[in-house]
Amino acid sequence: MGSTGPARRVRLVLAAVVVVATACGCGAPRERIDGASAVASSFAEAARSGDGTAMCALLARGTREELARSEGTTCDKAVVEQRLSTVGPVREVDVHGLRAMARFEGDTLFLSRFSTGWKVVAAGCVPRPGQPYRCRVKGG
Amino acid sequence: MSDRPARRESRRGNRRGRRGPVLGFLHDNGLTLAFLTGFLVVLVAQAFAGRAEFNAQLVSEGLEPVSFGSYVTSSDFAVDVTENWQSEYLQFFLYVFGTVWLVQRGSPESKELHRVGTESDEDQRVGAHARADSPRWAAAPGLRGLVYSRSLGLVMGGIFLLTWLAQSVTGVAAYNEQQLRQLQDPIGWSRYLTSADFWSRTLQNWQSELLAVASMAILSVYLRQRGSPESKPVGAAHHATGVEG
Repeated sequence: MGSTGPARRVRLVLAAVVVVATACGCGAPRERIDGASAVASSFAEAARSGDGTAMCALLARGTREELARSEGTTCDKAVVEQRLSTVGPVREVDVHGLRAMARFEGDTLFLSRFSTGWKVVAAGCVPRPGQPYRCRVKGG
Repeated sequence: MSDRPARRESRRGNRRGRRGPVLGFLHDNGLTLAFLTGFLVVLVAQAFAGRAEFNAQLVSEGLEPVSFGSYVTSSDFAVDVTENWQSEYLQFFLYVFGTVWLVQRGSPESKELHRVGTESDEDQRVGAHARADSPRWAAAPGLRGLVYSRSLGLVMGGIFLLTWLAQSVTGVAAYNEQQLRQLQDPIGWSRYLTSADFWSRTLQNWQSELLAVASMAILSVYLRQRGSPESKPVGAAHHATGVEG
């Protein structure tokens, strides 16, 4: 049975809304969620094994530079000294446009997508009611 | 008397013939085509200006600027566009419906004071009073006739609701992207509908549209624009209502 006129029109309108929502980056495509999730997991794995070089490779340049500047040492040493509690698997990844947040047990990461892929812009973040997260590692 | 419209059409046809089909089409649809062209030019200009502003903000936050293609498909651009669209369609929806019941003495935007309301079938040439050249649905009985009699307002109102919905969907996406840039939690669509961001974007557009309509209604009582159907003839009295130039 074919659909009736009004029903078909309603479906067309809904389809148009979905197309607009997808085209404008309002809904996050699977590929973006998977990309952000993979980088967050790699960062957590590097944090668990104390691999500062790997962690710094996953940090955004501004974050890397700010960390080294504020600690007065190299990024790979400074990031390990932060003793981030990024443990366990990623519990939730929320992607909006070119920004994402990844929640772990006891830690939250904020990520941005660059031309070189997803990078961590802030780590070691804990929520504060009505205010931005307090992050031990973040850009200037 | 009755052959006047036919003679006018014939004269129009002759003029079109002299201009050729393309120029004739451009002449006959100049108002729509000029405004549509202007719309597209200004939309592209908005995209360039919007991208420059957006990128300046990203760079100041230590983030990468986005390409033109990325910007025009971003929620940031989409919400800036749709918030203006919804208010324009709301303006015309309110104007179309409001002028059925509200009048302004002396304004060409208003009908005559004694014609308030939906008027008689005879005045509106509907049902049994439809003429040979009336739209087919004007003569249709029941729901078809009822809907067609209000189709302009319904379509304007429908587009308003759809563009307002689009503003809310693109708005929450843009808002959440900004929230994440500022290391804050994103929010859901229903919570966004009660947020200051949604209502600030909405109301700043509504107030300007309402001001424009009120200004047009009252200024056109006393001021004239020679040759414009939006104005009374230059020599028309200030108290003359429902007269177009």
